[in-house]
Amino acid sequence: MVNLTIDGKQVTVSKAATIYEAAKEAGVHIPVLCYAKKLLPYGACRVCLVEVEQMKGRLIPSCTTPVSEGMVVITTSDEIKKVRKTVMEFLLVNHVLDCPVCDKGGECDLQDLTYELGATSNRFEGEKFDLPTDEVNPLIERNMNRCVLCGKCVRVCDEIVGYGSYSFINRGFETKIATAYDRGLDCEFCGQCLSMCPVGALLPRPFKFKARPWQLKEVDSVCGYCGNGCTVTLGVKDHKVETIRFNDKIGVNDGNLCVRGRFGYSYVNHEDRLTKPLVRKNGELVEADWDEALQAVADGLSKAQQGQGVGILSGARLTNEELYLLKQVAKVVGTENLDHSGGECYKGVTEGLKGALGVAASTATFPQIEKTNVILAIRSDFYETHPVVGMVVNQAIRRNGAKLAIVADKKGKLDKLPGAKTLLSKPGLELDVLNAMARLLLDEGLAQTEGIEGLEDLKTALADFEPSQVAERTGVDLETLQATARQLAGAENSAILMAYGLPYQGLNKELATAAANLALLVGIPGREGSGLYLCGEKSNSQGAIDLGILPQNAGKGAQQMLDAAAEGKLDGLYVVAEDPLSSYPDRDKVAKAFDKVPFLVVQDLFLSPTAEQADVVLPAASFAEKDGTFTNAERRIQRVRPGIPSPGEARTDGAIFSALANKLGSTVTFTGPAAIFAEIGKDTKAYAEFNFNEIGPQGVVWGGEVLQPVCKKVVAVSGGSSVKGDFQLVTGSALYHSGTVSTKAKGPMAVLSEPYLELSREDAKALSVVDGDLVKVAGNGTELKLKVKVGNRLPKGVVFAPYHFAEANVNRLYKGEPVIAVTVSK
Amino acid sequence: MNAYTQVLFKNRRSNETVLLPEYEKSGGYQGLRAAMKMTPAEVCELIKGSGLRGRGGAGFPTGIKWSFFPADQPGDKYLVCNGDEMEPGTYKDRQLLLADPHQLIEGMAIASYALQTQIGYIFLRYAYEDCFQRVERAIEEAVEVGYLGKNILGSGFDVELHVHGSAGRYILGEETSQLNGLEGRRPNPRSKPPFPAQRGLFGRPTNVNNVETLATVPHILTHGTAWFQNLALNPESAGTKLFGLSGHLNRPECFELPLGITLREVVEDFGGGVRGGKKFKACLPGGASTPYLTADHLDVMMDFNPLEEVESRLGTAGVTVFDEDTCMVAVTRNLNQFFARESCGWCTPCRDGLATISWLLDRIEFGQATNDDLAMLKDQVKNIKGRSFCALAEGAMGPVEALLRLFEDEIKDHIRKGCCPFASN
Ligand SMILES: Cc1cc2nc3c(=O)[nH]c(=O)nc-3n(C[C@H](O)[C@H](O)[C@H](O)COP(=O)(O)O)c2cc1C
Ligand code: SF4
Ligand code: SF4
Ligand code: SF4
Ligand code: SF4
Ligand code: FES
Repeated sequence: MVNLTIDGKQVTVSKAATIYEAAKEAGVHIPVLCYAKKLLPYGACRVCLVEVEQMKGRLIPSCTTPVSEGMVVITTSDEIKKVRKTVMEFLLVNHVLDCPVCDKGGECDLQDLTYELGATSNRFEGEKFDLPTDEVNPLIERNMNRCVLCGKCVRVCDEIVGYGSYSFINRGFETKIATAYDRGLDCEFCGQCLSMCPVGALLPRPFKFKARPWQLKEVDSVCGYCGNGCTVTLGVKDHKVETIRFNDKIGVNDGNLCVRGRFGYSYVNHEDRLTKPLVRKNGELVEADWDEALQAVADGLSKAQQGQGVGILSGARLTNEELYLLKQVAKVVGTENLDHSGGECYKGVTEGLKGALGVAASTATFPQIEKTNVILAIRSDFYETHPVVGMVVNQAIRRNGAKLAIVADKKGKLDKLPGAKTLLSKPGLELDVLNAMARLLLDEGLAQTEGIEGLEDLKTALADFEPSQVAERTGVDLETLQATARQLAGAENSAILMAYGLPYQGLNKELATAAANLALLVGIPGREGSGLYLCGEKSNSQGAIDLGILPQNAGKGAQQMLDAAAEGKLDGLYVVAEDPLSSYPDRDKVAKAFDKVPFLVVQDLFLSPTAEQADVVLPAASFAEKDGTFTNAERRIQRVRPGIPSPGEARTDGAIFSALANKLGSTVTFTGPAAIFAEIGKDTKAYAEFNFNEIGPQGVVWGGEVLQPVCKKVVAVSGGSSVKGDFQLVTGSALYHSGTVSTKAKGPMAVLSEPYLELSREDAKALSVVDGDLVKVAGNGTELKLKVKVGNRLPKGVVFAPYHFAEANVNRLYKGEPVIAVTVSK
Repeated sequence: MNAYTQVLFKNRRSNETVLLPEYEKSGGYQGLRAAMKMTPAEVCELIKGSGLRGRGGAGFPTGIKWSFFPADQPGDKYLVCNGDEMEPGTYKDRQLLLADPHQLIEGMAIASYALQTQIGYIFLRYAYEDCFQRVERAIEEAVEVGYLGKNILGSGFDVELHVHGSAGRYILGEETSQLNGLEGRRPNPRSKPPFPAQRGLFGRPTNVNNVETLATVPHILTHGTAWFQNLALNPESAGTKLFGLSGHLNRPECFELPLGITLREVVEDFGGGVRGGKKFKACLPGGASTPYLTADHLDVMMDFNPLEEVESRLGTAGVTVFDEDTCMVAVTRNLNQFFARESCGWCTPCRDGLATISWLLDRIEFGQATNDDLAMLKDQVKNIKGRSFCALAEGAMGPVEALLRLFEDEIKDHIRKGCCPFASN
């Protein structure tokens, strides 16, 4: 700690603090413009200059100058005031000052500082800037005439996002911010830059002329897309979500969001939202009132249960409270056939981690990743599925020099981060690479073996995973494999990351087990600052596991239910918040199941392809209309709050479950999410220590920042298998989408609107195809046509198709395998 | 005709470049041999004791800079030679490299040893293609015989040198910008602390010195500190200095002269007096960023401290002379346009402030100014000087400040007459 005096006040702060931070802590206001809490010190605007007695002769930038013992700081004097005012005058000389038509008006730092510093008239004359605005991209409006060259956009895109879209170009007075070759912006559209811009130079285009900032009601909630669990602050006007507001004060994401969180909200306002229940009459779905629809569901499910039984398939975007009620519905119906997310992808958690560590969740929280020294990511799609954790990884690398290695069958954004090493394996064999690393740790005596069960079995099972042989058969570089394993063993703190979700159907349990083995051998689980992270694709994937939306006792899992239905052995299916026809593997089987099952109920926001097959369709509410909690992939339980009413007669899933349970004869009623949350604690012990109404702005983490494993057991897993064929198809997530719902959101669709087949440059050349050409992709007895996208992420012979787009039918090609052989032709 | 001891220009002949054999014959690489018999710390001590001050403009004592360098720190460390030389009126490093480039190579080998750096970069001005070739050839020659490369002179110490051609902007001469430029980044200056000696090139300890500074080092090792100190006419100073003369002189050439020589001797004896028999009006003593001297200063010693005593600086010792018919407002306006254009655009006072200075000087020069503009100009200097991120804007204020201090009457004349009083010339 360091003692100093600021404007006569004695202040004691950490020695890492800057003068500005020290002043802030002491409640002394210093104006700033280019300073941003989450960015590295910069010091260019010169608004924050102060006097320091020990550094006489010049004024000192308070935002970059570290404090030192005995410093005497003066933050306002006539000289300082004058300099600050002059800086504002300088900035205003050429600024267009079109405040009346600028969406930033009312929350613009330039307006505020001009006012505060009294730069109300200008002594200088100069030409106003007249630069063209960037109208090319659909999401971010760039009007450089309003720019004050604070550099925040440049810095955030580099330091945090790791993309590097912008740079200063030109010199002197002609300096401006530009993209490469000064073309239109073309990037990941995460919008971090516009969230940091202090003026109206970068603005969200979908929000243009929608509202003045003070007209917006702000509602803090949690993003409804992925398991990152970012705080999104809804900007609501006239019962409509008009924008997502910048908020770095609460939550886990430091104000960072990805394109889905920032621009993907618009599906909640979509005109195709279901507004009334639909009941099939004479083969047609027709509008019905709630009572009729619910009665039809209750009758249909009861009848089916008396026959060959009912199955319930849920998505992982319902709140914990709703999932609890769904479980009650299952009980009242009397079925044990309950499952979520296709029933396969989460087994890495429920079986893999559970088997090795005795816990079914990530062992540490996200902020700890930033302090780790070595990070191992399994599957390159980790950034694409969880972009904001990806940004934490970027900061770990850039700020703290962490080393990153990725074991994957293709490259992704993570591979572009500084110093990232890719262990590029043949598809289907990533498992072998992890096993080889475990083998190396044991062979070289680097493994921490104390207190670990199952070592002998593991050693025996690893006989086939001699690193050089594995390198040979997977195509991974042996030295990189060895170096990565050794780095993991030598690291003070390390993190292992793996994403799971619907597009990854195969080998989840095995990969997670192998990851857990590695984690145990390097001492990750339970160690402060280290973590094994398994991150679910959806906003409440972890909640669905915690709440036990899983087959009960001898009940059927998702795939078994679908198999049974397809074989005519199940009489009812209740599908909630999921569109299996579009997103589950083996579309033909799913279609057959829905075709055969005598009674199908679908509860969703839209009339999805699955809903079109239903006998009854129940219109549900989006995350922006709900009150409750989500549990993110680091076990953080956060409050979801309603910002808008549901359209038409749509109801929250929770309300529908309650009503349905009552129709089915249940007498239990709950007064609201707080009461249900209290109930959850009875079954899910980890939740029992929390009170719904006391969940604060940072949420609460069940199991604590570091989750102690119940057991430490390495478990032998056999290797994967590769497929032979001209091409090997892998599926996964595209950065701009999450599941299928984002395809209803204007923002993500504006950037990526179509399905595609990605191929390497080499393969594209061999097939003589270019971007946009149609190719035939055939495999597993199906042939599809897809548009070509040529990229540099894939090795020769590997092709990739994102799974989000219902119309692409990509899930007719894969039936749950991690990789399939296909042919590709013109 | 130059009776003063020649050190750096000892072998200089017009249109010729000294190759290795001749350099060796004239005592070349004896300094390196001497250094290799000492410990690195002893070499630093010797340079510190010599009184050598940086020749790149700021005049920081070289030995003290070296003694701050963490030579013992394990891992990569770098030496950078600053040959950007884009300050208007400055061309001495070029003359040195064209004449006798091995002095720089030898100096860098010695500095690498003293500072225990493994890799050295010579950062050359964009336009200096002729120097580039000569320096590359000198490096090849030195590598061939083992003055550079692995295990130099059988000492077990390795030195690797590379030449890097600048992308060509004045700000690249500022040492932290230069490091960004070498890394392939946009050349904005970096904030100090951390100083390059702590976190420099690629985040590693780095020492930056000017071409002339490094080229002087071998001679100190060969001949000793007493000899070096005796070279200067000013007993408080040490060494010779390259003076690049330009402007309204009969002989605008580059000379090696002892520090402490008077401005009069430089202008009259070496520069051959003012062109066309006109009177000396003023000069920039050390490049475009140094405050003017006038005829009142002709007997001032051209040296670091004596020039600071008259509110100017030695800078790079690039002396640009203006005759009696020169409009100093026009000169200052021209200089300021250079600085305004070359501002890297990072910080507000420089990027936007220099533009307002330009605007004010335009108004004065073209007779549109009022006394308010003069007051504003005075005020603006205060708003820029000491407020900017790096020394570019500070330097830019040198001539403007001197204009206000020494030639206020000339400004007022412009205002009164509503035009430039020198316009007819
Ligand atoms: C705008 C600006 C331009 C500069 N240009 C040069 C240059 O061209 N050459 C140079 O040696 N030093 C230049 N300097 C000074 C360097 O930053 C640095 O002080 C010098 O290279 C140190 O070398 P020395 O100690 O040997 O003089 C410049 C400084 C500034 C602020
Ligand atoms: S939207 Fe994101 S990726 Fe694009 S320029 Fe802004 S910060 Fe960079
Ligand atoms: S666009 Fe905005 S954030 Fe970027 S430099 Fe300009 S004012 Fe700053
Ligand atoms: S999709 Fe995930 S990473 Fe993106 S904003 Fe939402 S929670 Fe954050
Ligand atoms: S003073 Fe500021 S704008 Fe000027 S060159 Fe230095 S950093 Fe760039
Ligand atoms: S806020 Fe400190 S210089 Fe900009």
